[in-house]
Amino acid sequence: MRPPSILSGEDVRTEEREPPPQERQAAHKWLKEDALGRYSKLRGVGFELYLSKLAEEKIRNHAVKNADTKREVMGLMLGGIYTFNGRRYAMVRDVATTDLEASSVHVRFHRESFEKLFDSLDGTGFDYVIVGWYHSHPGHKCFMSSTDIVTQQTLFDLPLHNALVIDPISREIEVYYLDQGTIRARDFAVYWDEYENPYHGTTVRRRMLRSDPNSMAPAH
Amino acid sequence: MTMPLRVKVRNAETGSTVDMELEGENTVEEIIEGAAGYWEKDAGAYVLRRGKRLLRGQQTVTECGLINQDELELIPDPEGG
Repeated sequence: MRPPSILSGEDVRTEEREPPPQERQAAHKWLKEDALGRYSKLRGVGFELYLSKLAEEKIRNHAVKNADTKREVMGLMLGGIYTFNGRRYAMVRDVATTDLEASSVHVRFHRESFEKLFDSLDGTGFDYVIVGWYHSHPGHKCFMSSTDIVTQQTLFDLPLHNALVIDPISREIEVYYLDQGTIRARDFAVYWDEYENPYHGTTVRRRMLRSDPNSMAPAH
Repeated sequence: MTMPLRVKVRNAETGSTVDMELEGENTVEEIIEGAAGYWEKDAGAYVLRRGKRLLRGQQTVTECGLINQDELELIPDPEGG
């Protein structure tokens, strides 16, 4: 019997795509002061990572929901790698997860729940690339543990692969990446699509305040 | 003797694909090793899926019911601490 043989391989061409405009970007509300400072500087230049509001909310809700039990949560970040004006960046559009085997210091997918993960991957409805992973450190702050670093080196070693760590108790969030064997923090922006704008397609009228006599309708 | 079959394996981390030739007695573990080796990855950190079904390591191509032109996907299996 022969082992499986590779007949040919095909790489994906990176798509040219404009990143989300500045008016649809914001800093994550759990960023620490120094990260906020870096965010402000990079806002006009552009980021290497854009995290959709949808993905951000799912990650934060997942972590917060399990904060009481102090069990870690984890999932995969789905999106794509793009280029614009010679600059490469990653976008996370959605996340996928499943049941977990988790404690306060360890997490992995439940061995019998991969089908649920695959269902979650297929449910995104777009041709995803897994551009990283997220997990929580409930009450332990954000950093990359030795286990996290091994995962990053083994699975997510490309320059635009990301590890998002969130602490729902300290309300902190950080993204890390591997730079020639060294773990570094990555600045990122949260973005939303136009249809996610709460005022999309509506006219916002100024409310008249009862305490303002000039705004009251005349009595009849 | 069964004819070898050809499948496509997609790397979910990059979107890249490889075409592989398999025999009925090849195991899932061997498929993962072949694909992961091509992309210079650690085979032990990945799982392989066909649609919504997880393909288990010791199962053979025949036992999995793989057919010609099947599309499989290599999915990372991270561990956090």
